[in-house]
Amino acid sequence: MPEAYVVGAGQSDFGSFPDETYRSLFATAFEAARDSVPAGLDRSAIDEAYVGTLGVGGRQLGLPGPAVADHVGLDGIPVTRVENACAAGGSAVRQAVNAIRAGSADVVLAGGVEVMTDVSNDAVRFWLGVSGETEWERLSGTTFSGVYAQMASAHMAEYDTTTEHLSHVAVKNHANGAKNPHAHLRFECSLEQATNAPTVADPLTLFHCCPTTDGAACVLVVSEDVVEEFTDERIRVAGVGAAADSVGLFQRDTYTAVPASQQAAETAYAEAGMGPEDVDFAEVHDCFAIAELLAYEDLGFCEPGEAGPYVESGATKLDGELPVNPSGGLKSKGHPIGATGTGQLSEAFHQLSGTAGERQVEGARIGLTHNVGGSGGAAVVHLLEREEPRSSGDASGPRPRASEDGGEAR
Amino acid sequence: MTRPTIRAVGGYAPARRLSADAIAEAWGSSPSGIESTAIPAADEDALTMGVAAAKRALDAGDVAPDELDWLGFATTTPPMAEGDLLARLASMLDLREDATLRLYTGDARAGTAALLDAPESGLAVVADCPRGEPDDDRGHAAGAGAAAFVIGADGPASVVDHATHAEPAPGVRFREAGSDRIDGLGVTGYDRSAFTGPVAAASEAVTTADADAVAITAPDGKRPYRAAGALGVESDAIRACAVVHDLGDLGAAGAPLALARALAAGHEAVLCVGVGGGGADVLRVEASGDLPTSLALDAGDEVDYAHALRLRGELSDDAAGTGAAYVTMPTWNRSLPQRHRLVAGRCPDCGALAFPPEGACPDCRELVEYEETRLAEIGTVEAATRIGQGGAPPEFAPQQKRGGAFGVVVVRFAAADGDGAVSLPGQTVGEVDVDDEVRGVLRRLYTQEGVTRYGTKFERV
Repeated sequence: MPEAYVVGAGQSDFGSFPDETYRSLFATAFEAARDSVPAGLDRSAIDEAYVGTLGVGGRQLGLPGPAVADHVGLDGIPVTRVENACAAGGSAVRQAVNAIRAGSADVVLAGGVEVMTDVSNDAVRFWLGVSGETEWERLSGTTFSGVYAQMASAHMAEYDTTTEHLSHVAVKNHANGAKNPHAHLRFECSLEQATNAPTVADPLTLFHCCPTTDGAACVLVVSEDVVEEFTDERIRVAGVGAAADSVGLFQRDTYTAVPASQQAAETAYAEAGMGPEDVDFAEVHDCFAIAELLAYEDLGFCEPGEAGPYVESGATKLDGELPVNPSGGLKSKGHPIGATGTGQLSEAFHQLSGTAGERQVEGARIGLTHNVGGSGGAAVVHLLEREEPRSSGDASGPRPRASEDGGEAR
Repeated sequence: MTRPTIRAVGGYAPARRLSADAIAEAWGSSPSGIESTAIPAADEDALTMGVAAAKRALDAGDVAPDELDWLGFATTTPPMAEGDLLARLASMLDLREDATLRLYTGDARAGTAALLDAPESGLAVVADCPRGEPDDDRGHAAGAGAAAFVIGADGPASVVDHATHAEPAPGVRFREAGSDRIDGLGVTGYDRSAFTGPVAAASEAVTTADADAVAITAPDGKRPYRAAGALGVESDAIRACAVVHDLGDLGAAGAPLALARALAAGHEAVLCVGVGGGGADVLRVEASGDLPTSLALDAGDEVDYAHALRLRGELSDDAAGTGAAYVTMPTWNRSLPQRHRLVAGRCPDCGALAFPPEGACPDCRELVEYEETRLAEIGTVEAATRIGQGGAPPEFAPQQKRGGAFGVVVVRFAAADGDGAVSLPGQTVGEVDVDDEVRGVLRRLYTQEGVTRYGTKFERV
């Protein structure tokens, strides 16, 4: 089975862009990904593409994959749209890896795109809850903030997790996002601001919730047979795991964990021969602050119930023992649904390439990405490993190319 | 003639109250003889109030719904002008599908008409929430409430005599076709005689003078007492069971709910006088022994005038649009046993519970045909949140505009037989926290494409 390598990845800015379309954002991300390939990558080399998108607002609800592929000049290749709610992007990357490993392609594009902010307030409400369980959960009156708030309430009741613990996630991720030129919400916030912000769904305040975002991100995955054509800085997909679960929270056995995340992580760790102790940094799915706390526990970064004290300890800050969401996460970087998972891979690629600018995690060699669909109906975990240079005598740390700050165009 | 007896009585009124002082502050005057009115929640209507009263009656009398052959529902404010309201009510109450269903509507005598028509075994439910223009006396007096009477053999109360008188006259109030606002002529002398005249005529054929309580339709708090002379009773007999003073004008439910209050208080000779249109029904009800009753008429929060207008939907639209994640009506209809009665399923292979009862068994994962299973009345909250302004799905945005933030919980219910448990999500009525015990209550969920969808919400026990 051929190994899969990430040779390039890039994203558009994440934010609100009324002058952009889903096609133009995708093109920006596609070009950024190609530009990041050290030896360059001609579009004619791409054998296949997978595109993650939910289709918020309708737009090109059918065949959005071929539509964006055509827009960036990819002709005649197989293109498949991947819909897995907020895990669509991560699932698209997993499909790309599978195509490489199956030997059916040597160069695969995994992209994701979403435009959310040009939809009216009335209309967007119809879309924000579409990945919850529709007949019962949605019709109990919840959108996602409500479902995650219920998870937070259960975690608080079981483990004495506090509102301040949730706020620590927001403070950390905004501090990181303020350093990320691509982030949607590039400002810092204080613990008091996060805690005292208006309540969206009790106990979640506005600062415990991610924004709705426009954006695109692309990842270029190649086989070991051709990787040397594109780079001598090999970033291997060491492990991939994915799992699905009941779509409705009420249908699951636990509300204080996401079993799909646990299963996906277990698979990815086993495949990579690694454990949480090997991870140098992680991009986790923090659509709401409680989701990041659950991720710490589900991914094995801390024991069940310990996520609150764990974030409070500073362990997951940029200079902590295990930096989590150096990009700012969904909370600050933004959450353009279909592009979120590919955006996480883009961040991991740049961290492992040493091109993450001010938010660079020093000495990063192994990165984990964690992408969740809905409130846990789907989850994808990737483990990326920067391989040691094959020629002897090279330094083991990342060899920074030009920092992306100010360099990478949207 | 021996009429069927009353086996049990239920009563319900929304807990929120608007004081007469608040009305006076807004308009400079308050409705005659009314201290407060009951204000329905944003998700209440005549149907949901009727269900609340009926369940209390059935519970009080320990009556199984499938014992009942007949359901009469009386209201001047049916939530829909055309459509099978009664089948919904029967489903919510778990009556047999072959039960006879009858709707009584059109004037404020509808409640007494249903009581008079009730056969040997049945359930008479009366619920009303009349509306007037906000700037007139009828709007100021408008309240809300419901009563229900389980009819059958060997009950401790019965209608021992009755008489009716009707004239082709508009009466004290009427409502034009297509309008949801009651109106009146406003001719003082006419209005008085239109109320007392039919009462006097009907009461000639019934023994009235010895009644110790008189339950009478009350469009305001003074008019009932003007009928005391016609009935040959003292005002105190009317005051003994009046509901108008604290709940307001209850339309067709006024006299029946006052009757319920009289019977609950132990009165043994009660007149129930329905006045509506150009006519009146006078029923003499006699009770002996303990009649099972369950009335929920206590006042809860007091609201100010603007809040009352908001709750009544005077200030916002009620309809939700359609869009992504839209649940079609055929899909919705398949879930009605669960929406109305929380019917779960038991896996025939491994015995696990499932809710909703469809798809692979949550335990053994086999695709099975579930056996219908009832859940316990009381469940425990496992997770809870409160959805603030703007956070509701669009289906619930109109409700949120009227009623404000609402709670949403996941509740764990054991099976009624104690074997297994399932969790299900739902909205709350009032404040509810994790670990609270709750029971289901029927409420409006949302209105889409002209159809109101009803389902179970949860309130703290």
